[in-house]
Amino acid sequence: MASSSGNDDDLTIPRAAINKMIKETLPNVRVANDARELVVNCCTEFIHLVSSEANEICNKSEKKTISPEHVINALESLGFGSYIAEVKDVLQECKTVALKRRKASSRLENLGIPEEELLRQQQELFAKARQQQAELAQQEWLQMQQAAQQAQLAAASASSAQQAGSSQDEDEEDDM
Amino acid sequence: MSEKNMEEKVEQATNSKNISLPMSRVRLIMKSSPDVSCINQDALFLTTKATELFVQHLALSSFKNGSGKETNTLSYSDLANAAEETETFQFLTDILPKKILARDYLKSLEEMEKDDDKL
Repeated sequence: MASSSGNDDDLTIPRAAINKMIKETLPNVRVANDARELVVNCCTEFIHLVSSEANEICNKSEKKTISPEHVINALESLGFGSYIAEVKDVLQECKTVALKRRKASSRLENLGIPEEELLRQQQELFAKARQQQAELAQQEWLQMQQAAQQAQLAAASASSAQQAGSSQDEDEEDDM
Repeated sequence: MSEKNMEEKVEQATNSKNISLPMSRVRLIMKSSPDVSCINQDALFLTTKATELFVQHLALSSFKNGSGKETNTLSYSDLANAAEETETFQFLTDILPKKILARDYLKSLEEMEKDDDKL
């Protein structure tokens, strides 16, 4: 680990991060200590290589900031074209995730309605809904009542019809 | 069904999005290169990810081509060999010279001095 700070050339990727990556890439392989140290330095070298190349490409394009396009072209010209596809994929996924998050939050923000107003609207909607519910319930109750009444009437007329029928019979009998 | 796919995709994204290397450190190293001024955030991300791939690539090909396959070890010389033999890794030869035995080095020094003397 870079104990001597202040010297740019001593900047390296933290050893632990490299060790972890080596372990994930070559599980169960013993790696000599000096080999690990070497990989750490190779990383730094790689970063310098890519940034210098990207910087050159950037200068040629007359832009001041190194863009992702410059980096991709640098990788290609340095012979690391095989990395480009995967690297692009991950960048795209990140962007999509970030974009979704931004869209979601901005949709809410860009309504332009302050929070209190939103709250008030919400209360209104709730009240409306409750009212509708109450009306619906009442209607249902009325319907039920009506249906019950009708049922009663129907039952009553049915039984009275029976009675009438039977008394008619009696009458007929008498007449005969 | 599609919802599950989405969830998986997001998980994949976050998993591969978790870069193992610290972007801040990568930025510092980039800036220590001469003339490099401003770096776009996405460009920094790309570089970090590419460096990760590089480490994996270097480790894997050094191991595959190396002599450590039987002993299951990766040694310094495996890396040095990979640097010499693989074209894309040749930029590394400056920082990882093949180790030679001290006496061989001294010998070659002597021979060089002899040549100088002859001149």
